[in-house]
Amino acid sequence: MSAELGFGLLAFVLVGLPAIRVVTCRDLVRGVLWLAVTLLGTAVLYALLRAPFLAGVQVLTYVGGVVTLMVFGVMVTRKHEASTVPVDGTNKVRGALAALGFFGVVAWAIFRTDLSSLLPVETPSTQDLALSLLDPYLLAFEVASVLLLAAIVSAVVLARRRDPVPGTAESVQRSAIQEGSAP
Amino acid sequence: MSLSVMLALVTLVAPLVAAFLSVVIPPLRHRGAPAAMLAIAGSLLATVAAGVLVTQDVAGQAIRATVPWMVLQGRGLGEIGVRLDAVSIPMLAVVCLVALAVQVYSVAYMDRETPRSYGRYFAYHALFLFSMNTLVLAPDLLQAFAGWELVGLVSYLLIGFHFDRPSAARAAVKAFWMTKLADMGFLFALLLLFTRTGAFSWDVALRPEVAEAAAALIFVAVMGKSAQFPLHVWLPDAMEGPTPVSALLHAATMVAAGVYLVVRADPLFAQAHWVQSGMLWVGTITAVFTALLGLVQNDIKRVLAYSTCSQLGFMVAALGAGSAFAGYFHLGTHAFFKALLFLGAGSVIHSVHSNFMTDMGGLGRKMPLTALTFSAGALSLAGVPPFAGFASKDAILLAVQGRAGWVPWALLLATAFLTAFYMGRVLVLTFLGKPSPAAAHAHESPAVMTGPLVALAVPTVAGGLLGPWLARGLGTELHLHLGLTPVLASLAALGGLGLSLALYLRGGEAPLAATLAALDRASLIDRTWAFGYRGVLLPLGSAVRWVDRYLVDGLMNGLGWGTLETGAAIRPIQTGRTRDYALAVVLGALALLVLGAWR
Amino acid sequence: MTLRALLLVATALFSIGIYGLLTRRQAVALLLSIEVMANAANLVFVAFARFGGAPGQPLVLFALAITVAEVAVGLALVLLLYRRHGDTLLELASEAKG
Repeated sequence: MSAELGFGLLAFVLVGLPAIRVVTCRDLVRGVLWLAVTLLGTAVLYALLRAPFLAGVQVLTYVGGVVTLMVFGVMVTRKHEASTVPVDGTNKVRGALAALGFFGVVAWAIFRTDLSSLLPVETPSTQDLALSLLDPYLLAFEVASVLLLAAIVSAVVLARRRDPVPGTAESVQRSAIQEGSAP
Repeated sequence: MSLSVMLALVTLVAPLVAAFLSVVIPPLRHRGAPAAMLAIAGSLLATVAAGVLVTQDVAGQAIRATVPWMVLQGRGLGEIGVRLDAVSIPMLAVVCLVALAVQVYSVAYMDRETPRSYGRYFAYHALFLFSMNTLVLAPDLLQAFAGWELVGLVSYLLIGFHFDRPSAARAAVKAFWMTKLADMGFLFALLLLFTRTGAFSWDVALRPEVAEAAAALIFVAVMGKSAQFPLHVWLPDAMEGPTPVSALLHAATMVAAGVYLVVRADPLFAQAHWVQSGMLWVGTITAVFTALLGLVQNDIKRVLAYSTCSQLGFMVAALGAGSAFAGYFHLGTHAFFKALLFLGAGSVIHSVHSNFMTDMGGLGRKMPLTALTFSAGALSLAGVPPFAGFASKDAILLAVQGRAGWVPWALLLATAFLTAFYMGRVLVLTFLGKPSPAAAHAHESPAVMTGPLVALAVPTVAGGLLGPWLARGLGTELHLHLGLTPVLASLAALGGLGLSLALYLRGGEAPLAATLAALDRASLIDRTWAFGYRGVLLPLGSAVRWVDRYLVDGLMNGLGWGTLETGAAIRPIQTGRTRDYALAVVLGALALLVLGAWR
Repeated sequence: MTLRALLLVATALFSIGIYGLLTRRQAVALLLSIEVMANAANLVFVAFARFGGAPGQPLVLFALAITVAEVAVGLALVLLLYRRHGDTLLELASEAKG
């Protein structure tokens, strides 16, 4: 029992605490960095759970790719005056309530369920994973590739530069830049 | 399909096509003459077909060709088609012939109308012929009802033809709602028959009380349509319509449809003895009362209108006495001579530009053909032998005497005297004596108008010869013999005519004329109906309208308003704020989880 | 190392993500919260793969791919939002009003 508790606390420190920092800190750049910590913590847990390949993929894609993307996103969309925004007061209560409610319900379900029949088993090796991608999960694999292609195309289409609509902030910025008054 | 059935269908389809084309191709109607040609072509075809049918001689073998209507559970609710027998074929011939004559006559009579009006008139005429034939050829009471209602509609349209005249519009409405009220009887009779027998045929044996009830209900409708006392008041007012319309609808055919219906449904009425007694007395009272009123009218058309009521009373009395043949015979002869009289009156009216006999006089010399044919019609109506009217009236008197005793017979005989009397008055005031200033420039009508007059005069004079043939078709015999009744009837007719000629040529007035005129002006019956209309029907209508507008409509509007308000109240949920939507998603997921965890 | 503890930690992580989802005003912050939530879900899969042999690991791979796609498109949308309004506050994207 206490071993479980100890492990739980450890796991929480590994992923939970950084996550809390992600959702609470004002500076977005810091938030992104805390996210990186969370993701790394998750990678550690994967490793502990005999999923080494996944841990590696986690680090590569999430920490390497997604976090980098996020940093870019934050940088490009910076507001020029102030860079921190206060979190709204009333919504904190409601958000907290919803989150606690969610945790309460699921935790209650978890405690009610008899998990003793689930014992540690042999996890698939990297080779097994690779083979499963080509046989049972071939269709999903292909679909995932199409999905990624679609995402790439849509992201490019959405984000491409075109003449700004007059009256929006972008056109104001552009003309300001052209006139040489913007920072 | 046999030849007879095809011919019958021609009588239905030809006028229908004429009417249909006139309606859906407005240029035909607006230019006037094309619609007239269509209508006349239609009635000509119908008349020819009817004529051929007459020669087919279906005595004894009724032909019935129908298709089921509204098929439910393998069985039709009713039947649509034609029934050809010794009852429907003669009537068909009469209707088509008179309609043709009237339509040809109208070509000249209505020539003062605008082309649009002219076309509309003929379109209505075509519709009328189709409707009337539907009624005449009906194989059961359901189709008869359809034709009945249709002719009622066309009557309304034609009485109120000059709808810009308030009196005409009012007369049309009056005719329509009075007959419609009476038609409730027909409707209830249909319901009764259907619930008891599952069909609408008159050819069924019913329990006595059911037969009495059904016959009584149908007779109510007959009282309305055939202007029997006290529902006769719409007919004199219907004279607001153009004179050819009065001739066709309100003398020869439509008003006679009630009589025809009773003849048609004779197997039913034969089982209802109480109703027959009632019919006898209603007919007799109508005959006497309206004849008296006809004596004091100054409008020539109104005289003829009251005369029509009176003659219809004769027919109804005959039916009440149990002789469908006598009633039918008189229907036929009356159709010819009454139409003739009306068309003749129209000829005079067209020439003198007035309906009032005070504006006429001495027209015998100026309009000889009209005068001659009109006189023939008058003699036939009066019942002077050997004209057609004498034969049929004689048959009625014989039937009444044979079955119902002396009192109705005596009353009808007196009415025959009155009939001759008031027709004599008309003849004197219109054609004899000194012309009034208005009649100074009168002249004979064109051939298009006098032609039909002559054509109708033939059966008016010689129609009595067809009596035996008609009687055989209906299963009885007509005997012409020398007896009390024919002698007395002839005397009454001749005496009436003679006395009135003598009286009116000297410029006198009938005894009791002042009283009768006062009675006519008081129009108690008319006022009672008017009170019923204004005091009961209209308030009822207003109440129903209120319910419809505020309760029924209100409910619908309320539902609509409620929906809109609910929508407006719910709309703020769509705040547009992403976080609110996210919250909604989370809460929803939470709810699902709880639900799942509970199980 | 028990399954239950792991599941509870994952649930806690998810709840933290929910809190962030409902609370943050910046669009990018929202995406970060979503990342946290996705991460928690993946953790559950891997946990069950270890305890009970459910095919969790291949699923995680696919979940990863999907999440990456979502981040890409999401950031593109954030960019559009920024171009239109000069800021990435969520209130600015309120055109789906009733």
